[in-house]
Amino acid sequence: MRRHECDVCIIGGGVTAAMLALKLSEMRREASITVVEAGRPLFDLENRMHYRQRSIDYAENPWPGDFIEDQAAKGVISRTMAVGGSALHWGGTCNRFSQEDLRLHSMFGLGVDWPLDWKELERYYCEAERRLGVSGEPSPFAEDWRSEPYPMPAMAMTHNLKELKAWGEKSGIPFWSTPQAKNTRLYDGRGECIRCNTCSICPTGARYSPDFTFRRLLARKNFALHDQTLVRRLELDSGKSTIAAAQAVSQTAPDDPIEYRAPVFVLASGYCWSPHLLLLSRSERFPNGLANRSGLVGRYMCGHAFQSAFIEIDAKIYPGMNEQHGLISRKFFRSKPGQPFLRHDLRIWESASGHEPRLRGADGGILLGDDLLSDWRKRAQRGTARVRGYYDVHPDRNSMLTLDTTSRNRWGDPLPAIEHKLDAPTQARQQYTNEHFQKLFQTLAKAHNGKILSTSLSNYLDHPAGGCRMGTNPATSVCDSFGQTHDHENLFVVGSPTLPNAGCTNGTLTFVALTLRSAERIAGRVK
Amino acid sequence: MHRRNLLRWIAVLPGLRTWAQTAGFPGDQADVLRALAATVLPSELGSEGIDRVATDFGRWVREYRAGAELDHGYGFTRIRRKGPSPAPSYLQHLAELRPALLTADSAGRRAAVLSALEQAKVAELPRTPGSQHVAADLMAFYFRGSDANDLCYRAAIGRDRCRGLQGSDNPPPPLKEKA
Repeated sequence: MRRHECDVCIIGGGVTAAMLALKLSEMRREASITVVEAGRPLFDLENRMHYRQRSIDYAENPWPGDFIEDQAAKGVISRTMAVGGSALHWGGTCNRFSQEDLRLHSMFGLGVDWPLDWKELERYYCEAERRLGVSGEPSPFAEDWRSEPYPMPAMAMTHNLKELKAWGEKSGIPFWSTPQAKNTRLYDGRGECIRCNTCSICPTGARYSPDFTFRRLLARKNFALHDQTLVRRLELDSGKSTIAAAQAVSQTAPDDPIEYRAPVFVLASGYCWSPHLLLLSRSERFPNGLANRSGLVGRYMCGHAFQSAFIEIDAKIYPGMNEQHGLISRKFFRSKPGQPFLRHDLRIWESASGHEPRLRGADGGILLGDDLLSDWRKRAQRGTARVRGYYDVHPDRNSMLTLDTTSRNRWGDPLPAIEHKLDAPTQARQQYTNEHFQKLFQTLAKAHNGKILSTSLSNYLDHPAGGCRMGTNPATSVCDSFGQTHDHENLFVVGSPTLPNAGCTNGTLTFVALTLRSAERIAGRVK
Repeated sequence: MHRRNLLRWIAVLPGLRTWAQTAGFPGDQADVLRALAATVLPSELGSEGIDRVATDFGRWVREYRAGAELDHGYGFTRIRRKGPSPAPSYLQHLAELRPALLTADSAGRRAAVLSALEQAKVAELPRTPGSQHVAADLMAFYFRGSDANDLCYRAAIGRDRCRGLQGSDNPPPPLKEKA
């Protein structure tokens, strides 16, 4: 067995790992930091234009090799497992949560409060925006105050978005440019967005992805990246409750296991694989897994639900101008007093839905050549808006990640299975929520002679989180606000798993902000 | 040895036939493919434009990679791979259409394609070409593409191009008229 020693061992190689490693390496220049990631490094920026083209032409995976065939989880929303994680192909949306997310219990008698103050988190939001490189414009609502401007001006609104903004605002709802980790000018060594319309594979690096941070880290002498290395369990110090080692296997040398030894271990493997590893690391002393005296590892798995509509309007929309950039409104971010609890964001994107070319005309007959083009042109006279609201739903205690003994990887380890369950108050207000969205879509549609083409309710929870929720009470939480586990003083969990609830907008910026805050506590433990 | 002869020679070896048909596509059906393109693509493209799409489609088939990873999606995610090369079935479809496409008048060519599509039970324009029938796939190849989007809106939107941010706040410029 090989042994690797370092000062901080970070398990997982996604965006939170990248941000944590970078900040730690800045704060503790002499400290040795190792990131252990199960997937491959995909650092070939020079090939991304080619991958993008293959994805457009053949629907091929734009990130070839970004998964591990037998390392799959039931209920997971992305199979990506590579250095950089899901943030390799994210849309770059960087919305902040709001104070309400942190005060659900004290303000509304729902869920739990987060053990940190909004003002403090706001500082780390600013830092996260700087490090990721966010372009945006401020919200017009005073409650959305920010202590620093966005690092870059907002992405230019295309003609389409200007049309859609004018339409949306006819209903008295202000909309503005969605903040995104996309360069609107040269920033942090990466170029300006050149509007390729394929942000899931940004061929230029204008959209932030963690591979850039890892490449920078690799130039530092005390940083090591061990990719294609799967950590299978954490081991305790004999007779103590501190973590002594992480046992791992390399995909490239499976017969030669690796033991990582460090004074500090950090789980940065996201909402699925962080609680999974804790549960896998059960032992005689900790039969329910590590950090799990509360019994809450793998519980309160959360995310937000969403409702969507395609609305046809009298507006000249040219599909494809910049489909990955949209509008946001935070008008509904605060639940109104005296009414059932309801919070959501509201988003609008350009769309071609309802106006795409079709093979069969209205009478079912096949259209060829000029007939097909003529039919398409007639239907493309009007524009389509894609509208979506992510709304706040809260997890039940039994919203769970469990070890699925019927599904194992090549090493024989049971794989995770996630089953979300909403708490009783969320379920009780679902009808009110549905009615609100239907009314809202109808209100929007009325302007510009609109017509609702379709509406839908999400059948999964997006931007998932939870599984190691933070809190001050060790009986009702897994870790504190810095991600330090209550049960093992040298074991931290960072990012999405620590969230007690997942808000009502994209979570990545919040995961990163919390991680940057954790970094300071972790740095304090490093000599 | 001439490339075409080499491909014909290879095609008789078991297991290599599909590879040869893909690598040599459309082979001796090039004239049928061009005639098919003229039947299913818009006349606004002009004969040069239609031939160009037929040529690009041929290249698309030749560069098809059977078994390549597909995008595994988001939300409900799964690992999938690209199916076998569509070249063999395309060649068969083209051979079946050959008499009509090369000898019939415009109405006869059209009727033959419509009949073939009905027989193949093609219900919709495929998202990406998928070998149900070469005519549907050729249409999907063009009409789902960025150039067709421009033609529909008569505007240089350039959906699949990297275009820069400048000027995007204005409507896209109109398509240039053909000289």
